Amino acid sequence: MPPALKMDGISRRFGAVQALDKVDFSVEKGEIHALVGENGAGKTTLMRILYGSEIADSGVIELEGNAVQFHMAADGIAAGIGMVSQHYSIIPELSCLENLMLGAEPAWLIQKDEAKVRADSLAVQMNFAFDWDQHAEHLSPSGAQKLEILKLLWRNARIMVLDEPTAMLSPSDSDALFASLKLLAQSGATVIVVTHRIPEVLEHCDRVTVLRGGKVVQALPVAGSTASQLAELIIGKTVDLTPRTASTKFGSVTLSCENLTVKGYRGDQAVKNVSFLVRSGEILGIAGVDGSGQRELFWSLIGRLKRESGSIEFNGKEIAKNSVAERLEMGFRLIPEDRHGEGVVDEWPLEENAAIGLQRQPSLCNGLWIDQANRKEMATSMVARFDTKHGGLEKPISGLSGGNQQRFVAARALSTEPKVILAFQPARGLDIEATRQVYEAIGLECVKGACAIVVSYDLDELLDNCDRVVAMNRGKLFEPTIGLERDRKTIGELMVASE
Amino acid sequence: MILRRENLQTWKVAGLCISAIALLFLLILGAGASPMEAAVKLWDSAFGNPLKFSNTLKETTPLLLAGLAVYIALKAGLFNIGVEGQITIGALCTAVVALRFPGILGIVLGSLAGMAGGALWALPAGWLKAYRGGHEVISTIMLNNIASGLTLALVAGPLKDPSQEGTTTRDLAGNTLLPNIIDSNKWQLNLALPIAIALLVLFSIWLKKSVAGYELRMVGANPQASEFAGIDVKKSIMKAMLASGAVAGFTGAVLVLAFEHRFFHGMSSGFGFDALGVAMLAGATPLAMLGSGLLFGVLNKGSSAIQILGIPKGITWIVLALLIIVFAAIRYRKEGSHE
Repeated sequence: MPPALKMDGISRRFGAVQALDKVDFSVEKGEIHALVGENGAGKTTLMRILYGSEIADSGVIELEGNAVQFHMAADGIAAGIGMVSQHYSIIPELSCLENLMLGAEPAWLIQKDEAKVRADSLAVQMNFAFDWDQHAEHLSPSGAQKLEILKLLWRNARIMVLDEPTAMLSPSDSDALFASLKLLAQSGATVIVVTHRIPEVLEHCDRVTVLRGGKVVQALPVAGSTASQLAELIIGKTVDLTPRTASTKFGSVTLSCENLTVKGYRGDQAVKNVSFLVRSGEILGIAGVDGSGQRELFWSLIGRLKRESGSIEFNGKEIAKNSVAERLEMGFRLIPEDRHGEGVVDEWPLEENAAIGLQRQPSLCNGLWIDQANRKEMATSMVARFDTKHGGLEKPISGLSGGNQQRFVAARALSTEPKVILAFQPARGLDIEATRQVYEAIGLECVKGACAIVVSYDLDELLDNCDRVVAMNRGKLFEPTIGLERDRKTIGELMVASE
Repeated sequence: MILRRENLQTWKVAGLCISAIALLFLLILGAGASPMEAAVKLWDSAFGNPLKFSNTLKETTPLLLAGLAVYIALKAGLFNIGVEGQITIGALCTAVVALRFPGILGIVLGSLAGMAGGALWALPAGWLKAYRGGHEVISTIMLNNIASGLTLALVAGPLKDPSQEGTTTRDLAGNTLLPNIIDSNKWQLNLALPIAIALLVLFSIWLKKSVAGYELRMVGANPQASEFAGIDVKKSIMKAMLASGAVAGFTGAVLVLAFEHRFFHGMSSGFGFDALGVAMLAGATPLAMLGSGLLFGVLNKGSSAIQILGIPKGITWIVLALLIIVFAAIRYRKEGSHE
């Protein structure tokens, strides 16, 4: 029997970059196939070509032995290929049913009851349950993802591509997701999971294809391969996967919160009575699914959002009333969650972006004027720190890849002797090597006396790199009992435990 | 790849400019005149002899200042359509003070009064924008209308020169004027032009090199990132709007002190609106306003001249509007995706 999907000799060039170079990729019917590789390895481009939203320069695509040619995404959908991208396309203002049908309405006039019957049967097939009339804004991240999967089934997709499907999920939700994917595969669908999480590949997938620099390194069965073997294939050299040794030598308490309550953007209490402390030298990780209050906590720590009640103390002094500018002066530094929106000015050159947030630091500003020479020097060392690849300091930052922008923003936050490092997904878009570098650099600042608070949706990343991990869950902060600060199971349960 | 995109953009700008000129030729042909003749006439009316050139420079001076006013707000992400009204209020304030205090004192106090008046007129728009989320375009348009009506009422009533038919104040005393630095039979150049150029140059340096200028540009480019960089965005918006209004008010002061020597209804004749074009054409480099200001000055002067050929005056506005749309379309074109 021919494979469900066969891509042969796919090449795609963007300007000077050969994004894909004669890639062969084949997936059997009924398997869960992992596509892994570093950022820029070509995973996304390959999947976009499969889906029809990108056109290959050369190469052939065959579905069950029949050659197909896609010119746009609609062609891919019509041929039974569906994709769930990393950022869900759920529209919060619409009901779950409306979201399900959006763009694939069965007729001009919507027969709601008929639609519900089909929607229910799809949900039952997957062991999901939905209140179809409910607005989608109430969906949890895992709920939204379930809806995305049903959207593909609604469109009769037989080949499903999921891009980093567990990026926003708790460990238990991730396991549940893969259980559903297994059900799908058993019913004859073909599932392709694009991921960078090796444990996930080993645990849940049947085969894996490794891309590096636009070429297939190897396609191999998962059974019999090991984490370090896969990591080596992905990076192309031996890597040290041993987690960073947790530090135990801490100084005095640097930052502490007492019963901190912060109102969210919708007026609800996004952070509820949160208390914790971080000592000098310590990296505190905050685990939790997206939307558990991490954002509002960070915003109030940096001073962007006023607290409703409770206290924030820095070196024993109450700072809840201090402005962002004052906290920056005290040595607070932020690696923001949304780089484009909160961290950089896209159209500005790197040199000017280097000063954002540091523009009033004595090292950069002499009286009323920016010290241009110093700024240039700082920008130079920022790009050097994590090997940011760029085309010149005078070129706009928007020309850099996402990973390189992240390297730059992380380097900027660590550049001027930070005292409190607030890092929101510092490794977002970074490869294994750069992730290690960034955490190493954060650790280095902590050895010098700073403290760091790191938010990530990737529990393993936190466990590997932080000294202590706590969990946020619906606005509350839960600390594992002493001795279990780096215990995966304990923290995973805290992330989702109901009250 | 970046380089290629920039080149592409240059080509596009050039291509679109050429098409705009081609369209102008067609319009002139449509109006029944010869485009060549019109071009010659336009050039002659602006640069034909020293006196004509002097007049063009006189027309350019308030355009430079008003352009700067728009530009300051634009850099903070604000579209100040209210410059026209701020000029009018500023001009009236200047006239009132300068009539009261003759001599150098009148010039200084009058200018200050003009700036204060302009800033005051920008204040509500800035406040609404910063603290109530009211869109500055709407509020400044409203304020323009109020400015026009209010000054008319004043100059038709208590401030009217009783000896005149029209709605005008008395003339300023001869020693309360901004002098011409060159004043011969051929050449005339008022002190206001070097002042305007100096302001542009100083602003340009400030914007590029000072911390406050850097912060102003950050607020305009990405307000959210500015908040995280420790900038009080609301205050910045207020400051930018007040500064913009003050420069607009100073434009009004220059009109009174340097050129008209009095206040009368309708004296600004649209400088505040032309200034939008002056500022937008300049793009990222404020000094480019020297060029765009002159362009508007030439077209304003020249459009009267080509009327003789039967070409309606509005035709130059069409060209300018086209240029602005083209430039705006290119500059504000957003890239589809970032990552």
